[in-house]
Amino acid sequence: MKRTIINLCLTAFFSVCLTGCSNDFLDLEPTDSLLEDEVFESYVTASSALIGVYDQLGSPVFEGLYNPIMGDIMGEDLMINSVDNWNWFVEVYQMNMLPNYSYVDNPWRAGYKLIYDTNKIIDNAAFIPDATAEEADRLEGEARVLRAYAMLRLARMYSPAYSKDPDAPSILLNTDSETTENAFERASLREVYAQIESDLLIAVNQLSEQGDKGFFDKRSARAVLARVYLDMQQWDKARDMAKLAYKGLSLMTIGQMYEGFHTRNAETIFAIAYTREDNNVYLSLPSFYWPVGGYSSMRANNDFVNIFSNADARKNFFLRIDEIDPDRHLIVKFGHNAQVGNAERISIRAAEMLLIEAECETELGNFTAAQDALYLVQRRSNPGVLKSVATGQELLEEVLLERRKELFGEGFRWYDIKRRQLPFVRTGDHWAVLSFMASDPDYYRLTFPIPQSEIDANEALDNSDQNTGY
Amino acid sequence: MKRQLHCLLVFLFLGVSYLHAQSLTIEGHVKDDNGGALPGVNIVMEGGNQWAVTDMDGYYSIEVPDGNVKLVFSYIGMQTHVEAVNNRTLVDVVLTESFEELESVIVVAYGTSTKEAYTGAASVVENEVIENRPVSSFEKSLQGTTPGLMVSSSSGQPGASATVRIRGIGSLSASSAPLYVLDGIPMSGSVTDINPNDIESVTVLKDAAASSLYGSRAANGVILINTKTGKAGSTRISLTSQLGVSERISDGYALMNSTQFYEHTWMGLYNQALINGASNDDARAYAHANVREFVGYNPFGVENPLDTNGKLISGTQVLTNTDWRDQVYKTGITQNVNLNVSGGSDLTKVFMSLGYFRDSGITLGSDFTRLTNKINVSHKINHFLEVGLNTHLSYSKTNAPPSGSGGANPVRSAEVINAASPVYNEFGEFEWGNKAVFDFNPVGLAELDKYRYETKRAVVNAFFNFKLSPSFNFRTTAGIDNSLNSGLNYYNPEHGNGAGVNGRTTTSNTDNLGWNISNILTYSKRRDRSYFEVLLGQEALGQDFALLSAGVTDFAVPNHPELVWGAKPEQPASFVSSWNMVSYLSQIKFDYDDRYFLSTSARADGSSRFGRNNKYGLFYSFGLGWQITREQWMPELAWLNNAKLRLSYGTSGNNNIGNYASLGLYGSGANYGGYPGLTPIQLANEDLSWEKIQSFNAGFELHLFSRLNASFEFYNRNSDGLLFAKPLSAGLGFGSVLTNLGAMRNTGFEAALNYTLFDSETSVSTLGFNISGNTNEILELTTERIPTGTKLLEVGGSIYQFYMREWAGVNPENGRPMWYVNAESDDRDTTTLPDTAYEDPLGSGKMVTSAYRDAERKRLGTALPKVFGGLNYSYQYKNLEIAMYAFYSLGGKVYNNDYATNMHDGTQPGSNLAVDALDAWTPNNRYTDVPRYSINNMDESNQMSSRFIEDASYLRLKNISVSYHFPDKWTSALHLSSFKAFLSAENLFTLTNYKGFDPEIAINGTTSNTIPGTRVVTIGLKLDL
Repeated sequence: MKRTIINLCLTAFFSVCLTGCSNDFLDLEPTDSLLEDEVFESYVTASSALIGVYDQLGSPVFEGLYNPIMGDIMGEDLMINSVDNWNWFVEVYQMNMLPNYSYVDNPWRAGYKLIYDTNKIIDNAAFIPDATAEEADRLEGEARVLRAYAMLRLARMYSPAYSKDPDAPSILLNTDSETTENAFERASLREVYAQIESDLLIAVNQLSEQGDKGFFDKRSARAVLARVYLDMQQWDKARDMAKLAYKGLSLMTIGQMYEGFHTRNAETIFAIAYTREDNNVYLSLPSFYWPVGGYSSMRANNDFVNIFSNADARKNFFLRIDEIDPDRHLIVKFGHNAQVGNAERISIRAAEMLLIEAECETELGNFTAAQDALYLVQRRSNPGVLKSVATGQELLEEVLLERRKELFGEGFRWYDIKRRQLPFVRTGDHWAVLSFMASDPDYYRLTFPIPQSEIDANEALDNSDQNTGY
Repeated sequence: MKRQLHCLLVFLFLGVSYLHAQSLTIEGHVKDDNGGALPGVNIVMEGGNQWAVTDMDGYYSIEVPDGNVKLVFSYIGMQTHVEAVNNRTLVDVVLTESFEELESVIVVAYGTSTKEAYTGAASVVENEVIENRPVSSFEKSLQGTTPGLMVSSSSGQPGASATVRIRGIGSLSASSAPLYVLDGIPMSGSVTDINPNDIESVTVLKDAAASSLYGSRAANGVILINTKTGKAGSTRISLTSQLGVSERISDGYALMNSTQFYEHTWMGLYNQALINGASNDDARAYAHANVREFVGYNPFGVENPLDTNGKLISGTQVLTNTDWRDQVYKTGITQNVNLNVSGGSDLTKVFMSLGYFRDSGITLGSDFTRLTNKINVSHKINHFLEVGLNTHLSYSKTNAPPSGSGGANPVRSAEVINAASPVYNEFGEFEWGNKAVFDFNPVGLAELDKYRYETKRAVVNAFFNFKLSPSFNFRTTAGIDNSLNSGLNYYNPEHGNGAGVNGRTTTSNTDNLGWNISNILTYSKRRDRSYFEVLLGQEALGQDFALLSAGVTDFAVPNHPELVWGAKPEQPASFVSSWNMVSYLSQIKFDYDDRYFLSTSARADGSSRFGRNNKYGLFYSFGLGWQITREQWMPELAWLNNAKLRLSYGTSGNNNIGNYASLGLYGSGANYGGYPGLTPIQLANEDLSWEKIQSFNAGFELHLFSRLNASFEFYNRNSDGLLFAKPLSAGLGFGSVLTNLGAMRNTGFEAALNYTLFDSETSVSTLGFNISGNTNEILELTTERIPTGTKLLEVGGSIYQFYMREWAGVNPENGRPMWYVNAESDDRDTTTLPDTAYEDPLGSGKMVTSAYRDAERKRLGTALPKVFGGLNYSYQYKNLEIAMYAFYSLGGKVYNNDYATNMHDGTQPGSNLAVDALDAWTPNNRYTDVPRYSINNMDESNQMSSRFIEDASYLRLKNISVSYHFPDKWTSALHLSSFKAFLSAENLFTLTNYKGFDPEIAINGTTSNTIPGTRVVTIGLKLDL
């Protein structure tokens, strides 16, 4: 009997042991994320993945804050305050960068994450079972513009100017979502720009004009292309693209301009569509610019302020308020919309396209066309201004000066200096004084180092691949 | 699951129809020395299968084939007795107590073992060490008690748990924390919920023979927590009450006062102007004009307090001189009250406790309160079935301001706000304008902001034990471990983090549910000279972690943090994260002649955490013990009482790899323009599996001169397939991917000596010493070298090896910083000297540079100590007891981030400085280690370098306690069975050269403005009814 009981127990025990549990018991999936295979099984999820790329674009360490701020403080017109600023961007303004700084690492990582996300969409869009051809084209086209936009930004930051040496090493080129090889050489600027151009040309064909300027469309793809050709000094192509990009748009009025650049308007070609609920709050452009409500640590150089004529409405973007800063000019170009950080970031607008047109026409010797385009921009801020009659180099300098006046704070100056190989001269009330010519060794400061983390992790790179000067 | 429940029910009803038929019936009564009846005594016929158990009154009845057999009477805590029947039918027996055997039983994996027969490396820490220590969590009391066990409390936040590592760091990036097992069931939540006074003993399982039975969770060792149980006999009620004060563990390095800081800032401005090419006079004027702006406040009564050289004009009144440390730190009060009830009969035993612990903290806004209740019950239903229930209930409430480098960290604020900044303005309101952390006055925020956390915990473990026969035992255990945590952070609308959004509250509620079912069948057989035991078992467990969080901004009513008061809701979140495991385990033990002890175990674990291609892992171990002194050929030596050799080898795993780490995932929340978005968050790795550890251990135990106990252990732990976030090129989209590609080795030795100084009727004194040394070496990595911030991971190096530029001092000519070029270092491939290199003017003979980027990084020692251990001393004379525990750690390095922040050389102009910074280079102070001070300094002198690496060796008197038992005649007059008064002090003094508050910092050797440790002195009373 006892034996029987023991046997019974043993049998029961082993039956529990050996049958065990079904496989489901060991295959669990998260409730708050999707398996990657599922994303491109429907148009709805694939579209959400595209939305995610725009969100990545608007990251504060990329186009949301870092890139536009650094695009100006790596220049002569604006500066970051040295006090009451929690040390934000100080080393960038001092142009004293090291390869391990987060200002160097973060935009690089954020940019490539964006590129990876777009690669996934571009490689999979055509195979989404329930997407129509137009839907697939839209997904792929927008992803291509986003990829080109990010690559152009990275190429400008981390490599010397295309105009200086198109064969200089530039950024990494990965357009394949399947690759797992942890080794990417630095492609030449020529290869990188060819990739960007090709993406944009395909996208222009795939996309149509959209009403919602928070998303890339045919028009904004052309606008980005105009920037690309401008870098490449292909003046005629840049002009054509710029003209197509602003065609049919009107410039905002000076009244709209004073509203604080926080909401898209008639002139907008592309804006990062932050919403009241979804924005970077303190890590936003208005937080750093607007005198109250955020970091408010951007200041304008007094010499720059003095360039503006008193009749120029844009001169009112500068303010002196002793209680806030007894020493320097505050900037009231970028404002909050009722709440800290609530502001769309207008990234591409018609005035820039007009100025591209003016620059290209000058280079092409079509001075009248250049003067006309320049006048359209100038007249908005100063209705009484006389149309320029300058030609040649003089006209070119006028156009470039107008770019400074019109686009300051929008993140252009750094690349404009580099693109045109201009001398870098800080005068006035700058607290970190630097001056050098294109031929000086110090010109390396206008190119960021390749992040140390990249050199360390990437099997194809070592320290000898670092940019000169670092 | 269902199946297991059915199985359980079958067992429950089995016992009812238990029958047996034999020829001769023997009856009798079993009692102890004092004449008390002994229920539950095992009676076995020698050499047969017949057995019986005494009933509640100690009577038994057994049927045997004839009258010439022998009966074996055994009972835990009693000496086993063999009685020949000699044809009697009435056999009464008296069992005598066996203190020795009782003492040597230790709780081990899935059961108990005698110390003698145990083949693994394990240490037991008894309750005397853990009880009545003024610490919130028991693991802090373990520091220095056990060799090989490293305990490091990196924060003085009350209620925070310590980092515990057994035998080095076993993992590169997965958690190296040990597995905690509470009363036989692995824990799923924090150990700080446990009341240390409920603990009877703690067993630390160190090698594979000891821990391998826990399989894929055992790689970093196992800590078994065994709580108190009731004891048969009269009910005992004891009340302990303890009250103490705590303060910051040390003063730390001195910070500048307001005058020093004001003068120093003036000098920085003056130097800045000179560096920018100004004349002396212009530089003076510039400094005078700007000093107030950079300091933030003029702490003096006059408009121009400084003379032309930037020194305070003598006689000037100082109006503001805030010691921000005094503002942020306070004296804490520690209270600890425990009520225990213990008792029962031999059939039913009960232990019940209520505990209250409160530590008001030494930092503004930080405190911890815990209420605990423990009930352990066991009941023998009949001679073969025993059931029991261990429950733990607790509630704790913590206020904990954030740590880290944010403005809201009060500890950081105390260090960086300069002394010229007042706490209150002239109207007695908080002043918010300091230049270091603008708008973050820590005193104000402590009043206005809230960081409140609550935990409710219930652990319920039930067991059913079926004694099927003397040889077979079956045990089913089922346990639930549930923690409900809620957290509320409130930023006030006016100042600090909440100002921009007019106040913000974020709340989160988590529900962490762990469950566990195990069925263990054991067969054991003792013959004349041998003992054989087989264990077979099955276990299933899982854990579900659910989170719900929400937040609002825009508060209309101040000081009301609940969500309802905010006007604008933010994105809420919820998810459940789960993992499951199913396991099969077995163990075989064989002892021969009390001389040779063999054990072997195997366990298979299948886990949902592992990748599709690697679902199951197998882990095994072998152990051997040899009692050398029991050998015939060993001469009987008077001085050698005992010698035992142990060897073990085995494997185990580490499954702390995250719940879904093998899957390629897109995450939610990447919303844009009002549309919901998805974004890739993780790369897939279907091969992902547990980390494997192979460990070898050799141990030698000695008992000499009847006074000295010594044990020595040598081990080698090879971990392989280490989970490692392999850094990736940005071109692959992610910073890293999880791989199983690392390998690491920990080799080390441990020694523990315990010496009885004297042991007489009236006095006992013992002295103990232990030492542990561990060498950590990385054997394999995905990439040859991986620099990670302050460290370098590389093959052949230690996990926490510092790697940075080497500080060479200050150039006496110009006050600029110098670093050794170290051109021969492998940081850069070339060995050519940079243009900025020059010969060291301080005469080291090496080349230096003042351009930070031109210096190459170098290996600069490791954060892990070379050796560490403990010293303990106890002395008992009549009713007085003194016990001391000391801990030492030698050879570990620290990168002192906090000190670097206070030596910023002008890069953070408004932030306070250490007094050491007064020694900054000037043309009149050329030979110094502190570079020139200039506002917005661009020399990069405070960049990460060996300038801020320190030796963190220390010796600390961890605890000293003095207790006095009042004489029995006094206590009996008060109708008490015992009455004790005691004093217990934690961290009384520390011997160290380290500059910061506390050399006991995060295990990776970098400081991050955490709350320093505390020094606590308590007095207490213990009454036994």
